[in-house]
Amino acid sequence: MEESRADGRNPNQLRPFSCTRNPLDRAHGSARWAQGDTIVLAAVYGPKPGTRKGENPEKASIEVVWKPMTGQIGKQEKEYEMTLKRTLQSICLLTVHPNTTTSVILQVVGNDGSLLPCAINACCAALVFAGIPLKHLAVAIGCGVLEDGEVILDTNKAEEQQLKSFAHLVFPNSRKSASSKEPNQKEEDSERGLITSITHGVMSEEDYFSCIERGLAASSRISDFMRTTLQKQAPGDV
Amino acid sequence: MESRKPPPSALVDNHVVPGDVVLDLTEMTNQTIKLGAGLRQDCDTIQATSAGRLRLSKPNKYWVESSQKRYIPSVEDTVLGVVVDTKPDNFLVDIKGPNLAFLPVLAFEGGTRRNIPKFEIGTLIYARVVKANSIMNPELSCMDATGKAAEFGQLKDGYMFDTSTGLSRMLLSSPTCPVLEALGKKLSFEIAVGLNGRVWVNAPSPSNVIVVSNAIIKSESLSGIGQRSMVESLLERLS
Repeated sequence: MEESRADGRNPNQLRPFSCTRNPLDRAHGSARWAQGDTIVLAAVYGPKPGTRKGENPEKASIEVVWKPMTGQIGKQEKEYEMTLKRTLQSICLLTVHPNTTTSVILQVVGNDGSLLPCAINACCAALVFAGIPLKHLAVAIGCGVLEDGEVILDTNKAEEQQLKSFAHLVFPNSRKSASSKEPNQKEEDSERGLITSITHGVMSEEDYFSCIERGLAASSRISDFMRTTLQKQAPGDV
Repeated sequence: MESRKPPPSALVDNHVVPGDVVLDLTEMTNQTIKLGAGLRQDCDTIQATSAGRLRLSKPNKYWVESSQKRYIPSVEDTVLGVVVDTKPDNFLVDIKGPNLAFLPVLAFEGGTRRNIPKFEIGTLIYARVVKANSIMNPELSCMDATGKAAEFGQLKDGYMFDTSTGLSRMLLSSPTCPVLEALGKKLSFEIAVGLNGRVWVNAPSPSNVIVVSNAIIKSESLSGIGQRSMVESLLERLS
């Protein structure tokens, strides 16, 4: 019999998520992404003219500001900012608006575990709402490995205290294709690849690949949710 | 032998998100397609770069119809800009894009060095984009292609508010969009719509300006029938 977790979920089950389009009026694009009680508000401003010192003026640059729920910005927040910046740089088309800066500001509203994946999902939704040109979307998922080697998805705060190790994984979203060829599902999965991987703790190779496999399967659900969110809130046809 | 017309993409009129493959070029032979906003070529495929509805203008022009607050300048767009600075050769105009736009002092009907118009900072200008390039500041003109002022120039009085670019496109579409049609039957007003997401309204009395502006702002999320009934309820409250 499959053992259930403290909040009643099975190991592969994600917490319910929701996304609000453009809750902030002044931002050019914003999104409020919630996964269970983990809530992140992302705002995108830009593209604005000019690049900061040290950036390449032939490309657009991305600036990420992370605001924690309480306290001052510390080393952990700086690491989150750097991870987010590199992830967003890899999915944005930087050559479309050279010599501009796009600011992405994240405010943590609730933190109940798997904070970084939730923030990455919020950022992607906000960039789409702002109309920033993207190569593809990215979906993020948090995986945890328990002491007995079992892999669980979308960990919450209580579960994170008991993990042996965890991995935050970011995948490209599944894409819709107009091609008449019927792509093989397995071939399509391997083609998608992995954008970002952050691990903590000691993890065997088998556990890591198990995390990737389970995370990839779960990311399809987030992909579908993201696609549905982008579609249904579009302005109605006249 | 006349080649068969290219089959349209299966995704036309569907919503696409960034990364979706819209066309596979390996399946096409000797055909020409034109790409509009929101699409890019990646080796053998055409992919979407923004989220929205894929449109096809027969026979071969594709674009993604999306709506956002930020405006990306495009040649021949008509825009509403706000003068933010005056230089000897140019007015600097904010058109809600990544860069300020240049409006040359000679870009007016009959413009010469002797009669340069005097614009204060904050003046509202209805202009046409004549140059737009991602690596340069866009350039505006207050003349149409034949050199006439037409409807371009300074807009005085009235009220200007910001909308999304999708709503601006809807207001400028033909046939006339339902909210403007319903308002025009009952009220007398002047309106200028910029494709950069700005709308200017002027009417004899301030209450009419407020009603027209509120109706336009509310209409974005409504269908055609919803827009008409919304306008009717607003007008009932007015009288």
